[in-house]
Amino acid sequence: MTPRIELLRFITRKLAAALPLIFGVTLISFTLTVHFGPDPAYAMLGKNPTAADVAALQRELGQDQPFWQRYASYLHRLATLDLGHTESSGEKVRDLLGRTLPVSIRLLAPGFVLGTGLALLLAMFAAWHRGGRLDRLITGISVIGMSLSFVIIIIALQAVFGVWLGWFPVRGWEVHGPASYLAHVTIPTLAFVLASIGYNTRFFRAMLVNAMSTDHVRTARAYGASPTHIMRYHVLRGCLLPITTRIVYSVPALAISGSLLLESHFSIPGIGRVTYQAILSGDQPVLMAVVGLSAVAFALTVTVADLLCRLADPRIRLA
Amino acid sequence: MSFARAACAAIAAMLILAACDQPGSDGRDRVVYRHAIDGMPASLDPAHAANVYSSTLVVNLYDTLFRYRYLSRPYELAPNLASGMPEVSEDGLTWTIRLRENVRFADDPAFPDNRGREVTASDVVYSLGRHFDPATRSQGAWLWRGKITGLEEWIDGGADPDRRIPGLHAADDMTVVIELTEPYPQLAHTLAMALSAIVPREAVEHYGREFGVRPVGSGPFLLKQFDETRAVLKRNLDFDRGALDLAAEGHDPQRHAELGLGSLDGEAYPFIDRLEIHFIAEPTTRWNSFVAGEVDNVMVPPEQADRVLDSHDPLRFSPEIEQRYHTLAEPEAGFVLYGFNMANEDIGHHPDEQIDSANRALRCAMRQAFDWQERNDTFYQGLGQVFPGVIPPFLDAFDPALDAGSTARDPQQARSLLQAHEWTPETLPQLTYGLEASVHQRQMFEQFRARMSAVGIPQDRLRSRSFASFGDFSRAIANRELDLFLMGWTMAWPDAQYALQLFYGPNAAPGANSFNYDNPEFDRLFERAAALEEGEERTALYRQLNEMVIDDCVHIGSLSRTRLHLWHRHVRMLPDREMLGGYFLRFVDIGAAP
Amino acid sequence: MNTVRTLSVHKRPWSVVRTDHIATLVAIAYLAAALGVWLGLWADNWAEITGTMWADPSAAHWLGTNRLGQDILVRAVASTATAFEVGLAVALSSSIIGGLLGAVAGHFNGSPVDELILWLKGTIDAIPFYLLVVAIAFALQGHAMAMHLAMILAFWTTTARVVRAETIRIGQSGFIEAARAGGSTASRIIFRHLLPNLVHVLLVQATLVFVAAIKAEVVLSFLGIGVQDSISWGLMLAEAGQDIMAGQYMNFLVASLCLFGLVMAASLLADRLQDRLDPRTRHQRSVDIG
Repeated sequence: MTPRIELLRFITRKLAAALPLIFGVTLISFTLTVHFGPDPAYAMLGKNPTAADVAALQRELGQDQPFWQRYASYLHRLATLDLGHTESSGEKVRDLLGRTLPVSIRLLAPGFVLGTGLALLLAMFAAWHRGGRLDRLITGISVIGMSLSFVIIIIALQAVFGVWLGWFPVRGWEVHGPASYLAHVTIPTLAFVLASIGYNTRFFRAMLVNAMSTDHVRTARAYGASPTHIMRYHVLRGCLLPITTRIVYSVPALAISGSLLLESHFSIPGIGRVTYQAILSGDQPVLMAVVGLSAVAFALTVTVADLLCRLADPRIRLA
Repeated sequence: MSFARAACAAIAAMLILAACDQPGSDGRDRVVYRHAIDGMPASLDPAHAANVYSSTLVVNLYDTLFRYRYLSRPYELAPNLASGMPEVSEDGLTWTIRLRENVRFADDPAFPDNRGREVTASDVVYSLGRHFDPATRSQGAWLWRGKITGLEEWIDGGADPDRRIPGLHAADDMTVVIELTEPYPQLAHTLAMALSAIVPREAVEHYGREFGVRPVGSGPFLLKQFDETRAVLKRNLDFDRGALDLAAEGHDPQRHAELGLGSLDGEAYPFIDRLEIHFIAEPTTRWNSFVAGEVDNVMVPPEQADRVLDSHDPLRFSPEIEQRYHTLAEPEAGFVLYGFNMANEDIGHHPDEQIDSANRALRCAMRQAFDWQERNDTFYQGLGQVFPGVIPPFLDAFDPALDAGSTARDPQQARSLLQAHEWTPETLPQLTYGLEASVHQRQMFEQFRARMSAVGIPQDRLRSRSFASFGDFSRAIANRELDLFLMGWTMAWPDAQYALQLFYGPNAAPGANSFNYDNPEFDRLFERAAALEEGEERTALYRQLNEMVIDDCVHIGSLSRTRLHLWHRHVRMLPDREMLGGYFLRFVDIGAAP
Repeated sequence: MNTVRTLSVHKRPWSVVRTDHIATLVAIAYLAAALGVWLGLWADNWAEITGTMWADPSAAHWLGTNRLGQDILVRAVASTATAFEVGLAVALSSSIIGGLLGAVAGHFNGSPVDELILWLKGTIDAIPFYLLVVAIAFALQGHAMAMHLAMILAFWTTTARVVRAETIRIGQSGFIEAARAGGSTASRIIFRHLLPNLVHVLLVQATLVFVAAIKAEVVLSFLGIGVQDSISWGLMLAEAGQDIMAGQYMNFLVASLCLFGLVMAASLLADRLQDRLDPRTRHQRSVDIG
């Protein structure tokens, strides 16, 4: 069996293993949002409804069906990608996601890349000069960063750069090209980087310190190899695994919850705010689609992470 | 070294790319007005246009039969799609409405050949009839249900648009005839609401559920773009209602002098090519956006009031603000009030007369314990207007001479009421206070509770129940689970009946009468007033009903918030967030930017 | 100091306390404040309206009052109790649940039990955090502990993942084999041998979860689904958001600083715990992986 076929089988096995995951996620979310969740009917009624009006609307929304029937029809719709229409405006959920998801990705991608890269750099400096002044400074800044609330950061940046200095728009997402994109994404990116850099730096530093205390790194140092060389060839290789795993794992959760606050305060039409509004109003088609999407994304993530594990270290047995 | 070079290359690339930025708007849009509203419309389907945000957009994309005059205050109805005011028969039961000719729906793929067609009377019939189809999920059915002859049978028969409704039909292409089961003078007002806007059947059937984001109307603007943060509208070149007649719209050369509207007289409207409506709910963001020049108007958040005002009483803007912007201070068309659940025998109606009056005393005591002035100062910067009853000051029926004692804090009287009916901490009922889960609501609750404990009603007698969404809050009220709650009521048309219906027996929960007030005498007088035309007799009845509500201590209220509006000097308009919702936008003009 | 790592790491945590003085003192001060509130010694009148709107700091109100006229200092102190309640409840519960499940999963690595726990973990991880918490808060419909339960359900997975990895690593070092060869049952192994050696991991994780819970509470309160019947820094910050527009900064500053102080102290302690307790960073020979 050639390595390529083995790899394919591994991927297929992993994706197949993801099915129970998707099942579990959808069941839990369905139960939470549909069975226990807010009743969308009352938000949709007019000023003076009669009991008959309420009952008619509930029938229209399918609320009189038993739980398992609703869950089954939900799974069916998810499998056939018939995502339905949002309860609020009637827009096709597929169109809604197609419109808002790219926006959220474009909003978070620069922050994510920059934040991770910057954190890695800082962590490398901190780990190399472990115990020294630079390390303490960087660790101190990280802890401060971790302790600041995301909300406070957003409010402060908006006030300083949007109003006081006026260098950037206060809100909005009128993106027609690179210049307007930069104008609208810079402050949210800055907020995001500031909020996440603390955590990431500390984590990477811990991993790097671990890797650096191994024998072969100590030997390389003793032999006088340059810091860059050691970092690149010995240390990073050693902790590549946990670092990439963490980066990969943090992607799906990010895309939806990370963007909520940014989208609310900066008026960006992304998926985070849409999802949150859907939760509050009980807009089930949207919730189903988002949960289904994140389940699939997570399953893919797990597969990719395991794959990278495999590629990085063939010694690790595949379950 | 190579890293530095790579960095330089990256920066150079970015600069070059920046130069390639495409302008988003059509370069030929000469006149653009950017309007900011403090909320977001959910759907653009007229049948769902129940709040001011949806209305603002719907009345600009669609036509209603009637509208309100631009500048007249008090508000006056004017024809819109109708060619004149309605002809009403002697007995008030038959209404004949003639339509304007040559009004066209916008071009859209829903029509054959993508060409819009002329609006006819059958469109009016269809638009009103679809409110009664369950699939529409209409929020406006209550306006006409039970009032039109043969409507109930038609609904029972399946609400089929191809079947004729006896009381609502097209006499010919341009004439609509409505036959009522009882006189309904308010009908004209209902036909000026966004809910009654005229829609084409082809589009509704073509787009189905998506009709809420694919509007096809005959209004002054067409929709170009719509998302959670803004809507972009473009002037409808086929829209023609003639020229703006300032005098007819209620222009007063003295009152409206500084608005600079004179040059617009005799010009065809709308005057702007492109209308952007930005949805900015967060007050901080909205204010910052206005100050940074990203939008042309703002409804000043209450916290900012002191920044723009010199004095509260009399209300005066600061000279700098007056110089920089146009200003407007007006009371909202609505009010906030506390209400009791009269269906709960612990606090409301009770068959035993003695207990009933003891309950009434408790309600009155709580009313006297509450401090509206403090509420006004804390949350509305003292700008709100407190008034007794539920007829707000902007209405004709408002009686300035009415004794305002019911709104004043009087802890002594409260205590004596409690004592007289032997209410002690042991006998007091436990009441559930419902609130939406927001910071302000929670603070208001704490303030309310503090005032109650000041007259001897212990804190533990008032239990709070918070709801994360308005829908859940509404459901709890509809299911009569709450005993006491704060609610806001927006007037959809300028008549006291719209407010008094809050106490009309048949409107009990889940209807508008969230208080489940049940007073046959009140109901009788209410029905009598509903059949009367505007006039002294009706006003007298309204005031009588108002006093009944105050006497029975059904509610603690009320307060109308004062809204402060600012807009840039070069924008020529009189904005109205309240009754006109969005009608004024067709009359906005932009002068030369300073 | 090249001693071989023994089965007993019980003595280590106390040495940490002596090393990082400031962070510890700060943490103790906060804890004392919270204890006082729990014992009813002070700050139980946090809801009382005792002053005028937005009063300046004075003898009666050391840090001034908020919009309603409530004393800011009293509310800040009362919030300390809430922060600890949330932090400790969530940290303890998620550590216990995560520790047990992670140890079981790691010990039975590869078996159906492991797969089941991994499935459960993955399922919960797949749902975005705020979605999960809001949904649970809804499901529990205004219950006082809704937010706590939601956070516990969301946070146990991280602990479980770390504990599972550590368990597998310990399992590979041989002495578990020895114990099993000696005839110990699975539960005995887990409770007698594994868990004591997982304490350092659990302790560090618990501190991290403590911090994360407090911070999450801020955002949840901001969104309106946080604590219901009491006061917290998150609620104070949510109030302060409006106050800032009116030019009143005291509420904001006090809540921010209090939050910042506790989070920093706890984070520093977590750091030091990690540095001191993790044998690999104490100049030990690292255990071979693979």
